Amino acid sequence: MIANGIVETESPEEFIEEIEKAQDCLPKKIDANPKTVEKGLAKLVLTLIELIRKLLEKQAMRRVEAGSLSDEEIEKVGETLMKLENKMDELKGIFGLKDEELNLNLGPLGDLM
Amino acid sequence: MKLYLYGIIDSSNQIEESIYGLEGTGVYNIPFCDIGAVVSEINQPIQEVTEGTVLEHEAVVEKLATDFTILPVRFQTIIDGRDNLLSMMQSYYKDFKDNLERLHNKLEFGIKVIWPADKIKENIIKTLKKGKQKNPESNNSQSKKFMTEKFEKYKIDKEFQTKADKFIKVMEIFFSKFAAEKKLRKLKTENLLLDAVYLVEKSQESNFREAFEHIKSGQPSLKYLFSGPWPAYNFVILSKQSGLLTDSQKTDLLDKVTQDQMLVGADSI
Repeated sequence: MIANGIVETESPEEFIEEIEKAQDCLPKKIDANPKTVEKGLAKLVLTLIELIRKLLEKQAMRRVEAGSLSDEEIEKVGETLMKLENKMDELKGIFGLKDEELNLNLGPLGDLM
Repeated sequence: MKLYLYGIIDSSNQIEESIYGLEGTGVYNIPFCDIGAVVSEINQPIQEVTEGTVLEHEAVVEKLATDFTILPVRFQTIIDGRDNLLSMMQSYYKDFKDNLERLHNKLEFGIKVIWPADKIKENIIKTLKKGKQKNPESNNSQSKKFMTEKFEKYKIDKEFQTKADKFIKVMEIFFSKFAAEKKLRKLKTENLLLDAVYLVEKSQESNFREAFEHIKSGQPSLKYLFSGPWPAYNFVILSKQSGLLTDSQKTDLLDKVTQDQMLVGADSI
């Protein structure tokens, strides 16, 4: 039925799997179903917290790499990040959310994380 | 009467070839100045999206692309009557003209590349273990252990990204000569190293294909997907954000029915 365009690959199953994987975690709409609205909102809020947590973590790692943190500071940052990660795990558990679900599709800008 | 819109073309003349669109109705061109909107008549919005309906839409767009420059319109774009369609054309005319000129004689190609992420990471870990790393020293403190683990993971991820960038840079050296425009997405998943679309002059099509084959033979351990030629689904740029179209008129203009959707079927739409 297609006039011109063709798709050539020796591994169609693997590409389908990867494309589905990339799409699966990114719902196109916010789930505002009355039964699941709480989970939908939690997902949105936790996604934003996760973004900030990851940014903090990355910044901390950059500073460790650059050697600009003292031992005491590393200890302190480590404790903070660890507590934050544990709290996030707890909240994800409460709302039944997986790591890969905490993301947002920003359209032409791509994915949030 | 509702009109199902397939695309905007660079001609105000009637389409000579008989083309049948959704619901088996005839496809025709509604002229506006020197361009046109290609439509067919439809009784009601499509109730069920199936692979068949997506392919019917795609087939019309591709048939039109053989004779005209076309700005493909998103699947399921329905406009309520000729007057609304002409208002929309008037509102977007400059954008349409600019895009039609920019995309004239150009085709879109898609390239996806899968690499073995697990193996790559394994090798990175081996290499990092060999080298002397100045990681934060581990001691009994839980928070320091946490930081050590995180830092190791950070180094692995950083190296992983660097390797991905290197491969993409090599590809770019080959493709930049033949592609007029490009859109690249790196590591959409860990394995999907590259998901790219390129806009290529018709005259450069065979050179572009040759460049792809060259890359493929240079890196035979990776997996490749090459698709096209397609109408320029991913390269239509609208500067005008608001027009006479409203939500009820299905304003999702000029998005694409992706090749991904073609691959995975209508369920993903």
